[in-house]
Amino acid sequence: MQIVVNGSAENVPDPALTIAELLQRSGVESPEMVSVQLNGEFVDRQDYGNKSVTDGDEVDFLYFMGGGRA
Amino acid sequence: MTAFATKAIHGALLKPEAHGSLRPPVYDSVAFEFADSHQIQLAFEGRKPAHAYSRITNPTVDEFEQRVRILADALGVIAVSSGMAAISNVIMALAETGANIVTTRWIFGNTYSLFEETFRPWGLETRYVDMEDEKAVAAAIDGKTRVVFLEVITNPQLQVADIDAITEVAHAHGVPVVLDGTVTTPYLFRSRDHGVDVEVISSTKYISGGATSMGGLILDNGLFDWKRNPKLEPYAKKFGPGALLAGLRREVYRNAGACQSAHNAYLQTLGLETLSLRIGKSTANTLALAQWLEKQAKVKSVDYPGLASSIYAKRAAQFFPRGAGGILTLDVASREQCYAFQDALKLVRRATNINDNKSLILHPASTIFCEFDEAQKQSMGVRDTMLRLSVGIEEVEDLIEDLERGLAAL
Repeated sequence: MQIVVNGSAENVPDPALTIAELLQRSGVESPEMVSVQLNGEFVDRQDYGNKSVTDGDEVDFLYFMGGGRA
Repeated sequence: MTAFATKAIHGALLKPEAHGSLRPPVYDSVAFEFADSHQIQLAFEGRKPAHAYSRITNPTVDEFEQRVRILADALGVIAVSSGMAAISNVIMALAETGANIVTTRWIFGNTYSLFEETFRPWGLETRYVDMEDEKAVAAAIDGKTRVVFLEVITNPQLQVADIDAITEVAHAHGVPVVLDGTVTTPYLFRSRDHGVDVEVISSTKYISGGATSMGGLILDNGLFDWKRNPKLEPYAKKFGPGALLAGLRREVYRNAGACQSAHNAYLQTLGLETLSLRIGKSTANTLALAQWLEKQAKVKSVDYPGLASSIYAKRAAQFFPRGAGGILTLDVASREQCYAFQDALKLVRRATNINDNKSLILHPASTIFCEFDEAQKQSMGVRDTMLRLSVGIEEVEDLIEDLERGLAAL
């Protein structure tokens, strides 16, 4: 299936990939600080292990820091 | 690693330091570069945990924020340029034109000025109540109330409100509680354990290590459901419990430019490491001086929540088991006597700060409350016969000797 991770299209072979597995697979830096959005909606940290992505989903890993204009 | 002093010293070194320096360096740089265009794009989109520009984040400030977060068991911390910046940023993040704040009638003079002279003309109303009267707090809250704001110990009235009762009332109405914990810091009062949603602190005071630098802190304890706040609702949808922190970092804090400098963050991190030692000494000195002053015939009254004679003694013992802070007030016969007393002192300094290493004295009515008329001062609990003594970490025998000098001048 194809999903969009942080704005980039990715092919994911596993049809039942959880958010926790996706975090690990994507090599996300400082995962304890990241905020996950699935199709624009916040995903609670306690749901990372039981919420799976499906074909066409958009996943964003966002940090409070770093964003913005300078 | 659970003890406050241990956590304060060892904190959280976020990344291994390049040279193995035990003391994290001061990243006194405005901007940070990136390996390629994609990396800088990700950083600006908030998709990469990287520092780009020091008005938004800085590694030295980040180190300070993380240490405070660990000490307070907070969800997140943002360090700002002063205590007033902490208050103004939080209020701007939570309230809008047409909304209101409910707060204590005994609020700090500069905070009152912020609410009345800065925010009111923009259409944000502040309602003043007696925080001892929970029914009055409840009655003041309506559908437009965005914050219940109080001080852990009011300055200089030294009132200790029933914080547990206030948080219960506010939460029953779906309103978060913001508490100014400057005079206690997380060492003396764990706001999270008492249901406080957001704590603001002037780290210029105790935390800076002896009036070394200006600074402020915003601590989100992670207790409030920010979906209930209209301004933060869009952030809550994207960031869940991190909505206030995201709203500040990505909007108010960033746009208002109230960032803390790396140099100040370095100094305040140093101060944090000795905080428990200094507060321990300061509060022990304050109690000893309050007990001594109570016995002096020329002193009409002494206020200190840690005194057995204080009307807040029971509450202070419950809320502040490590001590009731480093500020006391004493009343003498007149303003003239106040001036004579403080002018005779040689060790205690006449200055407007609090919680310095040095003991400081001030006549609040003629200084920080000089902009208010007599009726306002009376309603704010500021008496013309009152002196505020912020007790430092000198030896108490030397402080008593100096205060004896002051009393001899009356």
